[in-house]
Amino acid sequence: MEILVLFGVLLLLLCIGVPVGFALLGAALATFAVIDIPLVVAVQRMAAGISVFTLMAIPFFIFAGDLMYRAGIADRLVRVADAAFGRVRGGLGLVDVGASMMFGAVSGSAIASASAIGSTMVPLMKDKGYPADYAINVTVTAAVVGLLIPPSHNMIIYAAASGSGVSIGDLFLAGIVPGILTGAMLMLTAWVVARRRNLPRGTFPGFGAFFRALVYAIPGLMTGIIIMGGILSGIFTPTESSAVAVLYTILVGAFVYRTLGWTSFIEAAQKSVRTASMVLFIIASATAFGFALALLEVPEQLAELIAFITDNPIITLLIINIMLLALGTFMDMAPLIVITTPIFLPVAVANGVDPVHFGIILMLNLGIGLVTPPVGSVLFVGSAVGKEPVATLVKTIWPFYLTLLFALLLISFIPQLSLTLPAMI
Amino acid sequence: MLSKLSDILIRLAAFGLVLMTAVICWQVFGRFVLQSSPSWSEQTALLLMIWYVFFAAAAGVREGFHIRIALLEDLSSPRMAGHIKMGINILVALFGLVLLIYGLQLVWLVRIHVIPSLGISRGLAYVPLPFCGFLMSVFALEHIFNDRKAVNAPSADSVASGAERAE
Repeated sequence: MEILVLFGVLLLLLCIGVPVGFALLGAALATFAVIDIPLVVAVQRMAAGISVFTLMAIPFFIFAGDLMYRAGIADRLVRVADAAFGRVRGGLGLVDVGASMMFGAVSGSAIASASAIGSTMVPLMKDKGYPADYAINVTVTAAVVGLLIPPSHNMIIYAAASGSGVSIGDLFLAGIVPGILTGAMLMLTAWVVARRRNLPRGTFPGFGAFFRALVYAIPGLMTGIIIMGGILSGIFTPTESSAVAVLYTILVGAFVYRTLGWTSFIEAAQKSVRTASMVLFIIASATAFGFALALLEVPEQLAELIAFITDNPIITLLIINIMLLALGTFMDMAPLIVITTPIFLPVAVANGVDPVHFGIILMLNLGIGLVTPPVGSVLFVGSAVGKEPVATLVKTIWPFYLTLLFALLLISFIPQLSLTLPAMI
Repeated sequence: MLSKLSDILIRLAAFGLVLMTAVICWQVFGRFVLQSSPSWSEQTALLLMIWYVFFAAAAGVREGFHIRIALLEDLSSPRMAGHIKMGINILVALFGLVLLIYGLQLVWLVRIHVIPSLGISRGLAYVPLPFCGFLMSVFALEHIFNDRKAVNAPSADSVASGAERAE
């Protein structure tokens, strides 16, 4: 009965269009009122939910990503990818995926990737005769790959939500192979779709141009190496590495590339603080909501329900994936990580799934939710950047959805893809 | 007046973000160059984050950047969409009020707790909740007021009837 209140109020508020952060808070408040818990507890959980050191990495990664975009680092990555893949049919689609993967390796935010790579690639592709829907669909689905390629602020939210000491370094390492695999699969899809729609091809600029582009991009690409190297060697905590990434991006943008001025710095800070506060406000409310879930023993009941349906680990993992995909369509990634991790992680672990492996599954699964309507923040960013309505985009996006789903299946059922690298290092 | 207020909130929040970056970078610098980590840095950065997240989140109610599902409004007639918008704003104003009342209670409850490395009251970390809850209510009421005015004078543009999708 109380569970009905919790989910009923949440669904009702979400459906009438109350912002997600307030809807989660409202559902928690209603439940607390019904089971007679002082409402001050909800507010206390909210405050506690964002008083977490590792979560400070979120605003830093968002800030660094926005600064990279304004410093023109995305442009330079696009040039490298163009020299490498530009010559094949629909080459700019492959360039888009490649540049997004590189951007994913320096920035921790899919939204930053979609807006940075999108605002460079989509106008460029339109110029060269590519249809807008293709350009945007490739951009937004490729941005999802950046969630798997370290660093990734969503992995930090997962590590914080799992509470069982999942190492952020291990998660970052575990994402590399699945990220490259998913990126390669998206490139293949982009190529096949381009052939069928007869999209233009570019020319190969020669190895000289490729290496020149690479040299220009190296100061930008170093960000990723600083973050990963710093965390893996134990020099920095993830939070520190993300703060250093901000400082490094400012230095590269202001003194090496000389593209980052005072005005764009201020704009970046104001834009980032909006995005970060939106994400963290939702995480705060999701913590209060999660507290209500735990009080009502939802995780235990769900585990019993799944155990009642099946005792087969493969089917269990499939059920979890389908439920997460469904939730992902109408909720944003950050609150879902906070809410679903305590629910599904114990079930997954009981079925022999490693918590690090589960984290990678969660990233890609909920990442797909970022590009599906009605709530898909990365899809919205792509639609805004490319000035094309979401309704037009989803008509031709299905080959890319299918690719991501296929990648999700591979990553779910081949744990070695995720776990080999962290075991080696 | 209110637009200036939300502008100031965003500026303060952006300054908080930059300051927090500086504090954590200073912590790294301290450890490697000065050979001693400052004891105050992590707690200070965290305090800054709680403050600026709620500052910007309050401004977000005015600017309408909080992510939401606008499907129902898109499917409704303009008249119905107006009613839905008003309902949402009333709810947001109520939730702001909850943050104000219970946030104050929370600040009062923890006023004697001290944050160890800073030597200040834990209540200071929680002050932005009631403060910004109050501002959220004010901004939501402003939307309601403006939307009413727009209905009564249909030719006038509904000024800042914001609340569109995020980004």
